[in-house]
Amino acid sequence: MIRTLLWFIGGALLGGIIHIIVILTLPLLAEETTWTRISAYEAANRMLILEPVTPGIPNPLHLDPELSYGLCQVDLSEGPAYLNGVLPDAFWSVAVYDRNGIVIYSTTNRDGIGQTVDIGIFNPAQTRLLAQQQIDIAEGLLIVESGTNDLFVLVRLSPPHEAMRARFEAELAEVTCGPRT
Amino acid sequence: MRFVLRLLMCIAVALAVGFGLSYYALTDGRLFGAVSLGPWTTWPEIGSPAPNPYARGHITREAALQLGRSEGLQFVATTDSDEAPLNLACSYRIAGRVPVSTFWTLSAVDMDWVNMAAPGTDAALRSSEIVRQSDGAMVIHVGTGLRPGNWLELAGGGDFQLVLTLYDTTALSSFASADMTMPSITMEDCR
Repeated sequence: MIRTLLWFIGGALLGGIIHIIVILTLPLLAEETTWTRISAYEAANRMLILEPVTPGIPNPLHLDPELSYGLCQVDLSEGPAYLNGVLPDAFWSVAVYDRNGIVIYSTTNRDGIGQTVDIGIFNPAQTRLLAQQQIDIAEGLLIVESGTNDLFVLVRLSPPHEAMRARFEAELAEVTCGPRT
Repeated sequence: MRFVLRLLMCIAVALAVGFGLSYYALTDGRLFGAVSLGPWTTWPEIGSPAPNPYARGHITREAALQLGRSEGLQFVATTDSDEAPLNLACSYRIAGRVPVSTFWTLSAVDMDWVNMAAPGTDAALRSSEIVRQSDGAMVIHVGTGLRPGNWLELAGGGDFQLVLTLYDTTALSSFASADMTMPSITMEDCR
């Protein structure tokens, strides 16, 4: 009886190890990730407006029907990425995601930026050059440091009313994104 | 013979515990980083730049565009306040207050995140469109049957989940007051 109990406890301990391995390797083994879904959009170095959510149509990215989304994929190996433009006077927020779909940086327009988006994203080597003043940047640029090169930026913009959506999305599409040419 | 039986039991227990616990941690996850407030559940770690392994697993499993920590928090309810699954055969009443936020949206989706709003109506309700009670509390009716007041009109059948997204919120942050309350979900009647 005691021996059976010991085997049982051994099984439970082994289960704990399996659990830890599953949790830690899941992000590495997943085939369909945020990154593969985003890459299907062809949004490299441009601000792409995502289709609004329609009832009855699948919504794999879990978008909010009330919001407008601008998506831009950047590769810092091409140089620092800049996000620049003026957005309408309504709630908006910017999030920078890495390859794993983790938000490495996010901010909203309530953080005192006003209506102007002016963000530069740098990898560690570019940040070093920045500190040595070897990269010229404009004053007031919001600097985001990223550990990896493959990133995407998502701008969430909230039109207060459905009638404003078209105009707001047109203004959002004007935002430039990508390396400085 | 005994040894083989014990070995088989050991393996069965290991597999059941290992994969069962992992599945639970990434779906319900209340013991592993998900926070429940009444029927509403959220993963506060999901928007942080260095999420814990469970939140990381959840991000991978959802493969969606999560909200950053400063952008807001998304709460999902799959049951009403009495822990009965939300079903489109019934209508529900959402009453109470939400934590401080710039604005919030409420939508209904099925288990695959397909929006369930009736065709031709708003796909989601927004805090600025809501008529409130005189004390500032809100009452929202959700369901397929005609309802007075604030009504999120749905269509279709089967189980569904409610998604309440708070933008720019202090909920679950260090600024939040201790008495965080979320609205209750009460079943009204069923067809």
